[in-house]
Amino acid sequence: MTERTQLLIIDDDPDYVSGIKAILDGAGYDTDVANNPKDGYAALRAKRYDLLLLDIMMGRGAEGVMMARKIRKDPALKDLPVLIITGIREQVAFLFPGQAVHPGFVPVDELLEKPVEPDLLLERVAAMLKAAASRRPA
Amino acid sequence: MSAPGATRILIIDDEEIVIDSCVAILSGEPYEITTATDGSKGLAQLREFRPDLVVVDLKMPGLSGLEVLERIREADATIVSVVMTGYATVASAVDAMKRGAYDFLPKPFTPDEFRLIVRRAAEKRALVLETLALRRERDLLREHFAAIVSHEVKSPLAAVQQNLWVLERELASVASADQRARLERVRIRVGDMLKLVDTWRRGVTVDLETIRANCAVVPVSVPIQKAVESLSVHAARKAIDLVTDVPDPAPEVWAHEVTLTEALVNIIGNAVKYTPDGGRVTVGAQLVEGAVRIAVADTGPGIGAEDLPHVFDAFYSSGSGSTGERGSGLGLAVSRRIAEAHGGSLTVESTPGKGSTFVITLPGLAENGPAGPGRDDGPAA
Repeated sequence: MTERTQLLIIDDDPDYVSGIKAILDGAGYDTDVANNPKDGYAALRAKRYDLLLLDIMMGRGAEGVMMARKIRKDPALKDLPVLIITGIREQVAFLFPGQAVHPGFVPVDELLEKPVEPDLLLERVAAMLKAAASRRPA
Repeated sequence: MSAPGATRILIIDDEEIVIDSCVAILSGEPYEITTATDGSKGLAQLREFRPDLVVVDLKMPGLSGLEVLERIREADATIVSVVMTGYATVASAVDAMKRGAYDFLPKPFTPDEFRLIVRRAAEKRALVLETLALRRERDLLREHFAAIVSHEVKSPLAAVQQNLWVLERELASVASADQRARLERVRIRVGDMLKLVDTWRRGVTVDLETIRANCAVVPVSVPIQKAVESLSVHAARKAIDLVTDVPDPAPEVWAHEVTLTEALVNIIGNAVKYTPDGGRVTVGAQLVEGAVRIAVADTGPGIGAEDLPHVFDAFYSSGSGSTGERGSGLGLAVSRRIAEAHGGSLTVESTPGKGSTFVITLPGLAENGPAGPGRDDGPAA
Protein backbone atom coordinates (compact mmCIF):
# COMPACT_ATOMS: atom_id res chain seq x y z
CA MET A 1 0.00 0.00 0.00
CA THR A 2 1.52 3.32 -0.99
CA GLU A 3 1.58 5.94 1.71
CA ARG A 4 -0.50 9.00 0.82
CA THR A 5 0.80 12.44 1.59
CA GLN A 6 -0.76 13.78 4.80
CA LEU A 7 -1.75 17.43 5.01
CA LEU A 8 -3.26 19.37 7.89
CA ILE A 9 -5.24 22.58 7.52
CA ILE A 10 -5.65 24.80 10.59
CA ASP A 11 -8.18 27.53 9.84
CA ASP A 12 -11.22 28.75 11.77
CA ASP A 13 -13.34 29.49 8.69
CA PRO A 14 -15.07 26.18 7.71
CA ASP A 15 -16.36 27.61 4.42
CA TYR A 16 -12.91 28.69 3.38
CA VAL A 17 -11.46 25.35 4.44
CA SER A 18 -13.97 23.41 2.37
CA GLY A 19 -12.76 25.38 -0.65
CA ILE A 20 -9.10 24.47 -0.30
CA LYS A 21 -9.72 20.99 1.06
CA ALA A 22 -11.68 20.11 -2.09
CA ILE A 23 -8.77 21.22 -4.25
CA LEU A 24 -6.22 19.25 -2.21
CA ASP A 25 -8.41 16.14 -1.94
CA GLY A 26 -9.01 16.31 -5.67
CA ALA A 27 -5.25 16.23 -6.23
CA GLY A 28 -4.91 13.03 -4.20
CA TYR A 29 -3.74 14.36 -0.86
CA ASP A 30 -5.08 13.15 2.48
CA THR A 31 -6.27 16.29 4.18
CA ASP A 32 -7.26 16.69 7.83
CA VAL A 33 -8.80 19.84 9.23
CA ALA A 34 -8.60 21.56 12.60
CA ASN A 35 -10.75 24.63 13.20
CA ASN A 36 -8.68 26.17 15.99
CA PRO A 37 -5.02 26.27 17.02
CA LYS A 38 -5.57 24.02 20.05
CA ASP A 39 -7.08 21.15 18.06
CA GLY A 40 -4.49 21.78 15.39
CA TYR A 41 -1.60 21.40 17.78
CA ALA A 42 -3.13 18.24 19.24
CA ALA A 43 -3.49 16.83 15.72
CA LEU A 44 0.14 17.62 14.95
CA ARG A 45 1.26 15.77 18.08
CA ALA A 46 -0.97 12.77 17.35
CA LYS A 47 -0.06 12.09 13.73
CA ARG A 48 2.81 12.67 11.35
CA TYR A 49 2.02 15.28 8.70
CA ASP A 50 3.99 16.19 5.62
CA LEU A 51 2.77 19.76 5.40
CA LEU A 52 0.73 22.24 7.41
CA LEU A 53 -1.54 24.88 5.89
CA LEU A 54 -1.95 27.55 8.54
CA ASP A 55 -4.28 30.54 8.79
CA ILE A 56 -2.98 33.58 10.65
CA MET A 57 -6.00 35.45 11.93
CA MET A 58 -7.77 33.03 14.21
CA GLY A 59 -9.50 33.51 17.53
CA ARG A 60 -8.82 36.75 19.32
CA GLY A 61 -6.11 37.93 16.99
CA ALA A 62 -3.18 36.48 15.16
CA GLU A 63 -3.18 33.16 16.96
CA GLY A 64 -1.71 31.52 13.88
CA VAL A 65 1.49 33.45 14.51
CA MET A 66 1.79 32.05 18.04
CA MET A 67 1.08 28.63 16.57
CA ALA A 68 3.88 28.98 14.02
CA ARG A 69 6.33 30.08 16.71
CA LYS A 70 5.36 27.12 18.88
CA ILE A 71 5.95 24.73 15.99
CA ARG A 72 9.34 26.21 15.38
CA LYS A 73 10.37 25.55 18.99
CA ASP A 74 9.09 21.99 19.03
CA PRO A 75 11.94 19.57 18.15
CA ALA A 76 9.48 17.07 16.69
CA LEU A 77 7.80 19.65 14.44
CA LYS A 78 10.44 22.23 13.61
CA ASP A 79 11.12 20.79 10.16
CA LEU A 80 7.47 20.61 9.19
CA PRO A 81 6.88 22.79 6.11
CA VAL A 82 4.27 25.47 6.87
CA LEU A 83 2.24 27.16 4.15
CA ILE A 84 0.75 30.27 5.68
CA ILE A 85 -2.47 31.34 4.03
CA THR A 86 -3.64 34.74 5.14
CA GLY A 87 -6.04 37.44 4.12
CA ILE A 88 -3.84 40.11 5.61
CA ARG A 89 -0.39 40.15 4.13
CA GLU A 90 0.39 43.77 5.01
CA GLN A 91 -1.33 43.75 8.36
CA VAL A 92 0.80 40.87 9.58
CA ALA A 93 3.75 43.22 9.44
CA PHE A 94 1.74 45.89 11.25
CA LEU A 95 0.65 43.57 14.03
CA PHE A 96 4.19 42.46 14.71
CA PRO A 97 6.33 45.52 14.15
CA GLY A 98 10.03 44.87 14.01
CA GLN A 99 9.64 41.12 13.90
CA ALA A 100 10.58 38.97 10.97
CA VAL A 101 7.35 37.64 9.54
CA HIS A 102 8.41 36.25 6.25
CA PRO A 103 10.66 34.63 5.26
CA GLY A 104 11.92 32.84 8.32
CA PHE A 105 8.64 32.93 10.16
CA VAL A 106 9.34 29.30 10.56
CA PRO A 107 12.40 28.09 8.69
CA VAL A 108 10.56 26.34 5.88
CA ASP A 109 7.53 28.51 5.42
CA GLU A 110 5.76 30.03 2.45
CA LEU A 111 3.04 32.64 2.40
CA LEU A 112 0.02 32.94 0.12
CA GLU A 113 -2.81 35.43 0.24
CA LYS A 114 -6.46 34.34 0.41
CA PRO A 115 -8.12 33.40 -1.86
CA VAL A 116 -5.57 31.13 -3.55
CA GLU A 117 -6.04 30.06 -7.13
CA PRO A 118 -6.26 26.25 -7.30
CA ASP A 119 -3.31 25.83 -9.65
CA LEU A 120 -1.12 28.11 -7.56
CA LEU A 121 -2.08 26.28 -4.37
CA LEU A 122 -1.27 22.86 -5.85
CA GLU A 123 1.96 24.06 -7.39
CA ARG A 124 3.13 25.61 -4.11
CA VAL A 125 2.18 22.56 -2.04
CA ALA A 126 3.99 20.24 -4.45
CA ALA A 127 7.10 22.43 -4.45
CA MET A 128 7.20 22.59 -0.66
CA LEU A 129 6.78 18.83 -0.33
CA LYS A 130 9.56 18.27 -2.84
CA ALA A 131 11.88 20.68 -1.03
CA ALA A 132 11.12 18.98 2.29
CA ALA A 133 11.82 15.54 0.80
CA SER A 134 15.21 16.68 -0.50
CA ARG A 135 16.09 18.01 2.98
CA ARG A 136 15.31 14.70 4.65
CA PRO A 137 18.26 12.35 5.10
CA ALA A 138 17.82 9.28 2.94
CA MET B 1 9.53 63.41 47.81
CA SER B 2 6.96 64.37 45.20
CA ALA B 3 4.09 62.40 43.74
CA PRO B 4 4.82 60.28 40.68
CA GLY B 5 3.54 62.00 37.58
CA ALA B 6 4.20 65.41 39.12
CA THR B 7 5.19 68.10 36.63
CA ARG B 8 8.98 68.12 36.36
CA ILE B 9 10.56 71.55 36.23
CA LEU B 10 14.15 72.40 35.36
CA ILE B 11 15.33 75.86 36.43
CA ILE B 12 18.48 77.23 34.78
CA ASP B 13 20.01 80.45 36.16
CA ASP B 14 23.55 81.50 36.99
CA GLU B 15 22.40 83.41 40.08
CA GLU B 16 21.91 80.96 42.91
CA ILE B 17 19.77 83.41 44.82
CA VAL B 18 17.26 83.45 41.96
CA ILE B 19 17.24 79.65 41.84
CA ASP B 20 16.76 79.41 45.59
CA SER B 21 13.86 81.81 45.61
CA CYS B 22 12.19 80.09 42.63
CA VAL B 23 12.45 76.74 44.43
CA ALA B 24 11.12 78.30 47.61
CA ILE B 25 8.15 79.89 45.81
CA LEU B 26 7.15 76.56 44.24
CA SER B 27 7.61 74.47 47.39
CA GLY B 28 4.34 72.97 48.46
CA GLU B 29 3.10 72.80 44.87
CA PRO B 30 2.88 69.42 43.06
CA TYR B 31 6.16 69.88 41.19
CA GLU B 32 9.42 68.02 41.05
CA ILE B 33 12.26 70.50 40.61
CA THR B 34 15.88 70.29 39.49
CA THR B 35 18.22 73.22 39.02
CA ALA B 36 21.32 74.04 36.98
CA THR B 37 23.66 77.01 37.25
CA ASP B 38 24.55 77.30 33.58
CA GLY B 39 23.29 76.39 30.12
CA SER B 40 25.38 73.30 29.46
CA LYS B 41 24.63 71.81 32.87
CA GLY B 42 20.98 72.52 32.17
CA LEU B 43 21.10 70.79 28.79
CA ALA B 44 22.77 67.78 30.40
CA GLN B 45 19.73 67.53 32.66
CA LEU B 46 17.38 67.21 29.65
CA ARG B 47 18.09 63.54 29.24
CA GLU B 48 18.76 62.81 32.90
CA PHE B 49 15.77 64.56 34.44
CA ARG B 50 13.40 64.67 31.43
CA PRO B 51 11.68 67.91 32.41
CA ASP B 52 8.16 68.92 31.41
CA LEU B 53 9.00 72.60 31.83
CA VAL B 54 12.22 74.56 31.64
CA VAL B 55 12.56 77.97 33.23
CA VAL B 56 15.69 79.60 31.85
CA ASP B 57 17.46 82.90 32.42
CA LEU B 58 18.20 84.70 29.16
CA LYS B 59 21.46 86.32 30.25
CA MET B 60 24.02 83.86 31.52
CA PRO B 61 27.77 83.42 31.05
CA GLY B 62 28.61 80.60 28.62
CA LEU B 63 25.61 79.37 26.65
CA SER B 64 23.02 82.12 26.43
CA GLY B 65 19.39 81.52 27.30
CA LEU B 66 18.44 81.81 23.64
CA GLU B 67 20.93 79.11 22.67
CA VAL B 68 19.62 76.90 25.45
CA LEU B 69 16.08 77.43 24.14
CA GLU B 70 17.15 76.43 20.67
CA ARG B 71 18.83 73.24 21.89
CA ILE B 72 15.82 72.31 24.01
CA ARG B 73 13.59 72.66 21.00
CA GLU B 74 15.90 70.47 18.93
CA ALA B 75 16.02 67.84 21.67
CA ASP B 76 12.30 67.73 22.41
CA ALA B 77 9.89 70.24 20.91
CA THR B 78 7.17 69.24 23.36
CA ILE B 79 9.05 70.67 26.37
CA VAL B 80 7.46 73.96 27.42
CA SER B 81 9.93 76.72 28.27
CA VAL B 82 9.61 80.02 30.06
CA VAL B 83 12.37 82.65 29.92
CA MET B 84 13.33 85.03 32.68
CA THR B 85 14.98 88.28 31.79
CA GLY B 86 16.37 91.15 33.74
CA TYR B 87 16.22 93.30 30.65
CA ALA B 88 12.49 93.35 30.27
CA THR B 89 12.66 94.67 26.78
CA VAL B 90 9.96 93.64 24.39
CA ALA B 91 12.63 92.80 21.84
CA SER B 92 14.36 90.09 23.87
CA ALA B 93 11.04 88.59 24.89
CA VAL B 94 9.81 88.50 21.29
CA ASP B 95 13.11 86.95 20.25
CA ALA B 96 12.72 84.24 22.87
CA MET B 97 9.11 83.52 21.88
CA LYS B 98 10.22 83.25 18.26
CA ARG B 99 12.66 80.56 19.32
CA GLY B 100 9.91 78.55 20.87
CA ALA B 101 9.57 79.96 24.41
CA TYR B 102 6.01 79.68 25.67
CA ASP B 103 6.09 82.73 27.92
CA PHE B 104 8.47 85.19 29.57
CA LEU B 105 8.94 86.60 33.03
CA PRO B 106 10.54 90.00 33.59
CA LYS B 107 12.81 90.22 36.64
CA PRO B 108 12.08 91.11 39.34
CA PHE B 109 8.84 89.19 39.63
CA THR B 110 6.52 88.53 42.53
CA PRO B 111 5.98 84.99 43.87
CA ASP B 112 2.40 85.09 42.62
CA GLU B 113 3.49 86.06 39.11
CA PHE B 114 5.98 83.20 39.08
CA ARG B 115 3.46 80.66 40.43
CA LEU B 116 0.86 81.75 37.88
CA ILE B 117 3.20 81.52 34.89
CA VAL B 118 4.50 78.12 35.95
CA ARG B 119 0.95 76.84 36.45
CA ARG B 120 -0.06 78.03 32.97
CA ALA B 121 3.05 76.49 31.45
CA ALA B 122 2.26 73.19 33.19
CA GLU B 123 -1.25 73.30 31.73
CA LYS B 124 0.21 73.97 28.30
CA ARG B 125 2.51 70.98 28.66
CA ALA B 126 -0.43 68.75 29.62
CA LEU B 127 -2.28 69.93 26.50
CA VAL B 128 0.70 69.26 24.27
CA LEU B 129 1.04 65.72 25.63
CA GLU B 130 -2.68 65.09 25.27
CA THR B 131 -2.63 66.25 21.67
CA LEU B 132 0.24 63.89 20.92
CA ALA B 133 -1.55 60.99 22.59
CA LEU B 134 -4.74 61.71 20.64
CA ARG B 135 -2.84 61.88 17.38
CA ARG B 136 -1.20 58.53 18.10
CA GLU B 137 -4.57 57.05 18.97
CA ARG B 138 -6.06 58.36 15.73
CA ASP B 139 -3.26 56.74 13.70
CA LEU B 140 -3.73 53.49 15.56
CA LEU B 141 -7.49 53.55 14.99
CA ARG B 142 -6.90 54.09 11.32
CA GLU B 143 -4.61 51.07 11.18
CA HIS B 144 -7.03 49.00 13.22
CA PHE B 145 -9.86 49.99 10.93
CA ALA B 146 -7.83 48.73 8.03
CA ALA B 147 -7.18 45.46 9.83
CA ILE B 148 -10.88 45.06 10.60
CA VAL B 149 -11.90 45.83 7.04
CA SER B 150 -9.48 43.31 5.70
CA HIS B 151 -10.48 40.55 8.04
CA GLU B 152 -14.22 41.05 8.40
CA VAL B 153 -14.96 41.93 4.78
CA LYS B 154 -12.25 40.12 2.97
CA SER B 155 -12.54 36.77 4.73
CA PRO B 156 -16.08 35.96 3.59
CA LEU B 157 -15.28 37.15 0.07
CA ALA B 158 -12.18 34.97 0.03
CA ALA B 159 -14.21 31.96 1.18
CA VAL B 160 -16.76 32.58 -1.58
CA GLN B 161 -14.10 32.97 -4.23
CA GLN B 162 -12.20 29.88 -3.09
CA ASN B 163 -15.35 27.78 -3.43
CA LEU B 164 -16.27 29.32 -6.77
CA TRP B 165 -12.93 28.22 -8.14
CA VAL B 166 -13.59 24.71 -6.92
CA LEU B 167 -17.09 24.72 -8.38
CA GLU B 168 -15.79 25.90 -11.72
CA ARG B 169 -13.37 22.97 -11.80
CA GLU B 170 -15.87 20.42 -10.60
CA LEU B 171 -18.59 21.54 -12.99
CA ALA B 172 -16.35 22.15 -15.99
CA SER B 173 -17.41 18.94 -17.73
CA VAL B 174 -21.04 18.79 -16.64
CA ALA B 175 -22.34 22.35 -16.75
CA SER B 176 -23.80 23.87 -19.90
CA ALA B 177 -21.99 26.71 -21.63
CA ASP B 178 -24.59 29.08 -20.21
CA GLN B 179 -24.05 27.88 -16.68
CA ARG B 180 -20.30 28.08 -17.03
CA ALA B 181 -20.56 31.63 -18.30
CA ARG B 182 -22.80 32.57 -15.37
CA LEU B 183 -20.34 31.05 -12.93
CA GLU B 184 -17.51 32.93 -14.55
CA ARG B 185 -19.35 36.24 -14.25
CA VAL B 186 -19.96 35.59 -10.57
CA ARG B 187 -16.29 34.81 -10.07
CA ILE B 188 -15.24 37.98 -11.87
CA ARG B 189 -17.58 40.15 -9.77
CA VAL B 190 -16.34 38.62 -6.53
CA GLY B 191 -12.78 39.14 -7.76
CA ASP B 192 -13.55 42.82 -8.38
CA MET B 193 -14.92 43.17 -4.86
CA LEU B 194 -11.76 41.63 -3.43
CA LYS B 195 -9.65 44.07 -5.42
CA LEU B 196 -11.79 46.95 -4.16
CA VAL B 197 -11.26 45.92 -0.54
CA ASP B 198 -7.52 45.77 -1.17
CA THR B 199 -7.55 49.25 -2.67
CA TRP B 200 -9.50 50.72 0.24
CA ARG B 201 -7.21 49.11 2.72
CA ARG B 202 -4.23 50.43 0.83
CA GLY B 203 -5.69 53.92 1.02
CA VAL B 204 -5.55 53.97 4.78
CA THR B 205 -2.27 52.19 5.25
CA VAL B 206 0.22 53.71 2.84
CA ASP B 207 3.12 53.60 5.23
CA LEU B 208 5.18 56.75 4.77
CA GLU B 209 8.04 55.50 6.91
CA THR B 210 8.41 52.33 4.86
CA ILE B 211 8.53 54.36 1.69
CA ARG B 212 11.18 56.72 3.03
CA ALA B 213 13.27 53.90 4.43
CA ASN B 214 13.40 52.10 1.07
CA CYS B 215 14.27 54.92 -1.33
CA ALA B 216 17.09 54.69 -3.84
CA VAL B 217 18.36 56.63 -6.83
CA VAL B 218 15.95 55.89 -9.68
CA PRO B 219 15.91 57.33 -13.21
CA VAL B 220 12.30 58.52 -13.65
CA SER B 221 12.15 56.68 -16.94
CA VAL B 222 12.03 53.36 -15.04
CA PRO B 223 8.76 53.79 -13.10
CA ILE B 224 7.24 55.66 -16.05
CA GLN B 225 8.07 52.82 -18.43
CA LYS B 226 6.74 50.20 -16.03
CA ALA B 227 3.50 52.08 -15.45
CA VAL B 228 2.97 52.68 -19.17
CA GLU B 229 3.64 49.03 -19.98
CA SER B 230 1.15 47.80 -17.41
CA LEU B 231 -1.53 50.03 -18.97
CA SER B 232 -0.72 49.56 -22.64
CA VAL B 233 -3.32 46.82 -23.15
CA HIS B 234 -5.94 49.00 -21.50
CA ALA B 235 -5.04 51.93 -23.76
CA ALA B 236 -4.93 49.77 -26.88
CA ARG B 237 -8.42 48.47 -26.16
CA LYS B 238 -9.73 52.05 -26.33
CA ALA B 239 -7.44 52.97 -29.25
CA ILE B 240 -5.80 55.57 -27.04
CA ASP B 241 -2.37 56.75 -28.04
CA LEU B 242 -0.29 56.31 -24.85
CA VAL B 243 3.07 58.03 -25.41
CA THR B 244 6.06 59.06 -23.28
CA ASP B 245 8.20 62.14 -23.60
CA VAL B 246 11.24 61.59 -21.35
CA PRO B 247 14.72 62.99 -22.09
CA ASP B 248 17.65 60.58 -22.39
CA PRO B 249 19.38 60.32 -19.98
CA ALA B 250 16.32 60.70 -17.78
CA PRO B 251 16.44 62.87 -14.66
CA GLU B 252 17.03 60.88 -11.49
CA VAL B 253 14.99 60.99 -8.32
CA TRP B 254 15.34 59.66 -4.78
CA ALA B 255 12.39 57.32 -4.78
CA HIS B 256 10.76 54.08 -3.73
CA GLU B 257 10.32 52.59 -7.18
CA VAL B 258 7.39 50.29 -6.38
CA THR B 259 5.15 52.91 -4.83
CA LEU B 260 6.13 55.62 -7.30
CA THR B 261 5.17 53.20 -10.09
CA GLU B 262 1.91 52.53 -8.29
CA ALA B 263 1.16 56.26 -8.12
CA LEU B 264 1.87 56.60 -11.86
CA VAL B 265 -0.30 53.59 -12.67
CA ASN B 266 -3.16 55.24 -10.75
CA ILE B 267 -2.74 58.57 -12.53
CA ILE B 268 -2.12 57.23 -16.03
CA GLY B 269 -4.87 54.63 -15.53
CA ASN B 270 -7.27 57.42 -14.62
CA ALA B 271 -6.26 59.39 -17.70
CA VAL B 272 -6.86 56.37 -19.92
CA LYS B 273 -10.15 55.65 -18.19
CA TYR B 274 -11.57 59.14 -18.60
CA THR B 275 -10.28 59.82 -22.10
CA PRO B 276 -12.69 58.99 -24.93
CA ASP B 277 -11.74 56.31 -27.44
CA GLY B 278 -9.15 57.43 -29.95
CA GLY B 279 -7.71 60.10 -27.63
CA ARG B 280 -4.17 60.60 -26.43
CA VAL B 281 -2.36 60.37 -23.09
CA THR B 282 1.15 61.79 -22.83
CA VAL B 283 3.51 61.05 -19.95
CA GLY B 284 6.35 63.56 -19.87
CA ALA B 285 9.25 64.17 -17.50
CA GLN B 286 11.61 67.11 -17.24
CA LEU B 287 13.95 68.88 -14.85
CA VAL B 288 12.53 72.26 -13.85
CA GLU B 289 14.54 74.45 -11.50
CA GLY B 290 16.16 71.48 -9.79
CA ALA B 291 12.88 69.60 -9.38
CA VAL B 292 11.72 66.65 -11.47
CA ARG B 293 8.30 67.18 -12.98
CA ILE B 294 6.32 64.19 -14.24
CA ALA B 295 3.25 65.30 -16.17
CA VAL B 296 0.39 63.09 -17.32
CA ALA B 297 -1.70 64.96 -19.88
CA ASP B 298 -4.87 63.62 -21.46
CA THR B 299 -7.33 64.72 -24.12
CA GLY B 300 -10.31 63.79 -21.95
CA PRO B 301 -13.31 65.91 -21.01
CA GLY B 302 -11.41 67.80 -18.32
CA ILE B 303 -12.52 68.40 -14.77
CA GLY B 304 -15.12 70.99 -13.85
CA ALA B 305 -14.13 73.83 -11.54
CA GLU B 306 -16.51 72.50 -8.89
CA ASP B 307 -14.86 69.06 -8.93
CA LEU B 308 -11.27 70.24 -9.16
CA PRO B 309 -10.71 70.96 -5.44
CA HIS B 310 -11.97 67.50 -4.49
CA VAL B 311 -10.25 65.14 -6.90
CA PHE B 312 -7.60 64.21 -4.32
CA ASP B 313 -10.09 63.59 -1.51
CA ALA B 314 -10.39 59.99 -0.38
CA PHE B 315 -13.55 58.24 -1.64
CA TYR B 316 -14.26 61.03 -4.13
CA SER B 317 -15.16 59.77 -7.55
CA SER B 318 -16.66 62.14 -10.05
CA GLY B 319 -19.56 60.74 -12.05
CA SER B 320 -18.22 58.19 -14.46
CA GLY B 321 -15.54 57.58 -17.02
CA SER B 322 -16.10 57.68 -20.73
CA THR B 323 -17.39 54.12 -20.70
CA GLY B 324 -19.33 54.39 -17.48
CA GLU B 325 -16.38 53.16 -15.40
CA ARG B 326 -16.26 54.21 -11.81
CA GLY B 327 -13.22 54.26 -9.61
CA SER B 328 -12.82 53.35 -5.98
CA GLY B 329 -12.28 57.04 -5.28
CA LEU B 330 -8.93 56.34 -3.67
CA GLY B 331 -6.41 56.14 -6.50
CA LEU B 332 -5.58 59.83 -6.56
CA ALA B 333 -5.68 60.18 -2.76
CA VAL B 334 -3.21 57.32 -2.47
CA SER B 335 -1.06 58.78 -5.24
CA ARG B 336 -0.91 62.13 -3.53
CA ARG B 337 0.20 60.52 -0.27
CA ILE B 338 2.87 58.63 -2.16
CA ALA B 339 4.11 61.84 -3.82
CA GLU B 340 4.19 63.58 -0.44
CA ALA B 341 6.06 60.69 1.16
CA HIS B 342 8.74 61.37 -1.46
CA GLY B 343 8.93 65.00 -0.37
CA GLY B 344 7.01 66.01 -3.48
CA SER B 345 3.49 66.92 -4.51
CA LEU B 346 0.70 65.94 -6.86
CA THR B 347 -1.27 68.73 -8.52
CA VAL B 348 -3.76 69.05 -11.35
CA GLU B 349 -4.64 71.60 -13.98
CA SER B 350 -7.66 71.19 -16.15
CA THR B 351 -9.77 72.99 -18.69
CA PRO B 352 -13.19 71.46 -19.29
CA GLY B 353 -13.38 70.23 -22.87
CA LYS B 354 -9.62 70.34 -23.34
CA GLY B 355 -8.27 67.69 -20.99
CA SER B 356 -6.41 67.47 -17.70
CA THR B 357 -2.77 67.40 -16.69
CA PHE B 358 -1.72 65.75 -13.44
CA VAL B 359 1.77 66.65 -12.29
CA ILE B 360 3.96 64.84 -9.77
CA THR B 361 6.79 67.11 -8.68
CA LEU B 362 9.68 65.44 -6.89
CA PRO B 363 12.79 67.06 -5.41
CA GLY B 364 15.81 66.80 -7.68
CA LEU B 365 18.57 64.50 -6.49
CA ALA B 366 20.94 67.14 -5.22
CA GLU B 367 18.46 68.34 -2.62
CA ASN B 368 17.27 65.03 -1.36
CA GLY B 369 19.86 62.47 -2.29
CA PRO B 370 22.10 60.66 0.15
CA ALA B 371 25.34 62.28 -0.92
CA GLY B 372 24.40 65.26 -3.02
CA PRO B 373 27.14 67.90 -2.82
CA GLY B 374 24.66 70.73 -3.26
CA ARG B 375 22.18 71.96 -5.79
CA ASP B 376 22.82 70.51 -9.17
CA ASP B 377 22.05 73.50 -11.34
CA GLY B 378 24.59 73.30 -14.12
CA PRO B 379 25.59 70.38 -16.27
CA ALA B 380 27.58 67.94 -14.15
CA ALA B 381 31.05 66.90 -15.27
